Amino acid sequence: MPYLPFLIVFGLLPMIYALYLAVTNDIGGWVGFDNFTRTVRDFRFLPALKNVLLYTSVWLVSLIVLVVALALLLHGRANRVSSTFRFLFYLPGALAGAASVLVWLFMLDPAVSPGSFFLRHLLGSDLFVESIAPGKLPYVFAVIAFWTGAGGWIVVMYGALNTIPHDLEEAARIDGAGPLTIALRVKLPLIRKWIAYMAILAFATGTQLFVEPQLVNQASLGMVPDTWSSNQLAYQLAFRYGDFNGAAAISLDLILIGLVAATIIIRRTGLFRTED
Amino acid sequence: MRLFWGSAPPRSWLRVLRRSVLTSLTVTGMVVAAACSSGQPSANSSQDPNSPITVWVDAVRLPVAEAYVKAHPNLKVNVVTYDGNGNGATGLQTKIQLWNRTGNGWPDVVFSQQVNDPVWMAQKPFEFAAKLKGLIPDDVLSQWPAPSTAQCTIDGEQYCVQDNLAQVVLWVNKKLMDQFGYTVPKTWQEWAALGQKAATEHPGYIVGNIGDSYGHWIYLWGNQCPLEQHRGSQLLINSTDSHCTRVATLVDPLIKNGSLPPLSVFTPDFARKYGGAKGKVLMMPGPAWYAQAVFDETLHIPAGEMTAANALQWESETPITTGQVGGGPWIISRHSKNLKGAADFVVWATTVFNPEGKDTRPGYPAYAPLADKWLAAQAKNPYFAADPTPALKAAASQVWSGWHLVTYPDQPVWSNTVVTQMVAGKSLSSLLQPLGDALAREAQAAGYEVVRQ
Amino acid sequence: MRFAARALRFAILAVFGLFFAVPIVWLVLAPTKSDETLVTVGPFGFGGLGQVAEAWQHLDAFSGQIYRAWIGNSLVYALGATAIVLVTAIPAGYGLALSRFPGRKLLLTLTLVVMIMPAAALVLPIFLELEALRLIGSPLSVILPFAFFPFGVYLAYIYYSTAIPADLLDAARIDGCGEWSTFWRVALPLAKPVVALVFFFSFVSDWNNFFLPYAVLADSSQYPIQVGLSTLLSSTPSFNPASGGGGQQVGIFRPELALATLLAVIPVAIVFLLSQRALVRGLVAGAVKS
Repeated sequence: MPYLPFLIVFGLLPMIYALYLAVTNDIGGWVGFDNFTRTVRDFRFLPALKNVLLYTSVWLVSLIVLVVALALLLHGRANRVSSTFRFLFYLPGALAGAASVLVWLFMLDPAVSPGSFFLRHLLGSDLFVESIAPGKLPYVFAVIAFWTGAGGWIVVMYGALNTIPHDLEEAARIDGAGPLTIALRVKLPLIRKWIAYMAILAFATGTQLFVEPQLVNQASLGMVPDTWSSNQLAYQLAFRYGDFNGAAAISLDLILIGLVAATIIIRRTGLFRTED
Repeated sequence: MRLFWGSAPPRSWLRVLRRSVLTSLTVTGMVVAAACSSGQPSANSSQDPNSPITVWVDAVRLPVAEAYVKAHPNLKVNVVTYDGNGNGATGLQTKIQLWNRTGNGWPDVVFSQQVNDPVWMAQKPFEFAAKLKGLIPDDVLSQWPAPSTAQCTIDGEQYCVQDNLAQVVLWVNKKLMDQFGYTVPKTWQEWAALGQKAATEHPGYIVGNIGDSYGHWIYLWGNQCPLEQHRGSQLLINSTDSHCTRVATLVDPLIKNGSLPPLSVFTPDFARKYGGAKGKVLMMPGPAWYAQAVFDETLHIPAGEMTAANALQWESETPITTGQVGGGPWIISRHSKNLKGAADFVVWATTVFNPEGKDTRPGYPAYAPLADKWLAAQAKNPYFAADPTPALKAAASQVWSGWHLVTYPDQPVWSNTVVTQMVAGKSLSSLLQPLGDALAREAQAAGYEVVRQ
Repeated sequence: MRFAARALRFAILAVFGLFFAVPIVWLVLAPTKSDETLVTVGPFGFGGLGQVAEAWQHLDAFSGQIYRAWIGNSLVYALGATAIVLVTAIPAGYGLALSRFPGRKLLLTLTLVVMIMPAAALVLPIFLELEALRLIGSPLSVILPFAFFPFGVYLAYIYYSTAIPADLLDAARIDGCGEWSTFWRVALPLAKPVVALVFFFSFVSDWNNFFLPYAVLADSSQYPIQVGLSTLLSSTPSFNPASGGGGQQVGIFRPELALATLLAVIPVAIVFLLSQRALVRGLVAGAVKS
């Protein structure tokens, strides 16, 4: 299996090294949980964690609810119209990363944005600097992430829905079930694994938020701090202060959260069971 | 769905698995072995005067680098444009850390937009900047003004030379002032009074702005607010000192009545609101380099309107002190294999390069002889309504020396703690305490021992 | 009643369609306007093709045509890495889904755990490994880490574990096929959709990856386009005023940024269009239906 060397060199080894870094100091001496307690007490740690958790929950909820709903809506009546919509939904996925942030820097500026009506009335901002006011940021980033990421997941969910044998749908329809019942009672449970997978990944990538706040930090000339998210703080600790041990500790904190979430999700949905 | 292999797991799969695990472990072993033996940066003792030099410049200094290449066709110079590490960015720190860990990759010359960058570049753990004594002749180094050299001196050694002086003066729109019958203020108090007057007589016109990431350098540094002052081995951050609070009390009404908006002068919104042919900028305290860069190129204010007036005085206090926004240090890497070549570049860029006309240097040169030439050209510059050079020259020696450079960037703290809240409507007076607290935390994270009184 | 339901469905889809599509429309129209007319003409106004040419000239002139280098780099990194991913991830996913061998659950768990590990923690150790292998400075320093794509393994795993009925495999095995030829002859041909899926996700993920190249590449001429875009952003005077001068002579303003973003998106859009059919058709192609 040629996959194994890659898993070990770029997956396992770095993880072990990160674990090692988290429990040692900069000359290799054992310090136990010292790095963890030290970074938790850093004045930027709690704000960053709060930001990231708020952002992740908003994004996760919107992703699961809206993506599944949109996929079901599309699948309910598969025709030219729905495939056009699917294409439209997917389009922004091509811009993930720096490109999508750049587009949204313009979308958030009431002077040039096509959505200036919403900016002024929903967000209450007349200037770009008001759009990125601290309280609004988690929601702003969630919207950006949804805009870029939802399309891809809708496509995946749609594909998953396509694996459901038609006979099941037919049988339900013959029994008198309307499209809504079919969607919720027949289709939804059968794509459980995919939803679980999406939830786990969304949680993990959500907590790892880096590019969006980093670029907004640049574009706002520092008004949004470069330690807004936990991952950014870890990056600063590692690459600016040279404190790789602290950075590793923060990363492990994030992993722990991700692992807990993943375990819960795997247990509840039986993702690893291959018998069905 | 039944998924099983009939009876026992097929041997072939196990064999494949075992083989791949073994290969992987061998690869891993090699990686680990190699990793344990490398990583020490090699001592750099060999100098090669013909070695090519790599120069990192920002967009504004790119013409300098290109001109040097043109003027020295026999030398190999590799010019890299980067973002200049401005506005409190920490990109250079991360890059230097990476180069240090791998033991190679350092550029020979770096231009930075952050005047405090040389401070951390000279110290552990970065240890990047080269000492200039010996690289650049003393008689050349002595032609920089003493305060400029002092900013480049860390622990008694000089590690950089500044590209330009960035003293804060009062930029004035002479045409508008004459039109409204206002006299140019000499003190902060007169300036504030004009701000009140303008707000009632000519609403929409401004006497400055306080929304840039360096607002504190303009308004607080010049008025002697002790936000970054070394006291022996400690760092004094006293944001509620009377020098700070008196400024806040002065500007708060202006922020409230709209004559001192908390907007950045570089945003398109600002240019739209206050710039252009019908510009509404009456006055603006700002650094020397605002000259054409901001008023002409950013705000598109027509020629024949702007000029510079002397830095503002606080009541009748002497000596007059003013702030500083920038300075543009040039740093030579101590790992350079061609220190002479690097030094030659830096000297040429700061003492020789002085084009005329529209390609003129945007900032007031720090090297004194070049400054004289530059000033002479600016005096005849048709863009200005009147000769701005007397004010620029006077302010050059008035930068308050009680504000010291530190290893951490303070611009993001100002932006994040103060500007965002001012945009939301809070007064500067109410934000001084949080500013001091945030600066103190930042300083402590950077390893300083902070005192607040 | 049916009509009302259908209309409601259409309305909901249309609202989201607008939400997703409008910023793209804006992006396509933006380079046709100049920096001033961006504001005055409005978000949906069309400026002129001449403006686009001008914007491209400014963009191309930036730092010695580095924009072209950035696009080229992205292509090399993404295609190179995806090629490796296809060779490693598909068989791996197949093996994990359809064979029982000791350590299967462990491998699955490891893959999942690595997938959710924050990038900041992994980048430094990976960087040190790359340095030890003397790869820093070569394109491999980006391609090799990219080639590790656990998400692709999981996609293949889920595909093979949900879409391929055991009867098919049994049929092949009864016919006397060994493991490898079973994979070759049965699983691989059926893999077309998942190959398209993995290619697509891997390419897009590599094209859009910011963090690893940001941390690992020091020379800006080696940047992929995403990191290059952030360099462009920091060279735009309105987003990063240079103290000591306005930086206006560099000529990168908002239309140039928009054009740069638009051009950076086109390769991915092409890949998407090419993979559309496989993605849309779903994850099963002609398998035996029981």
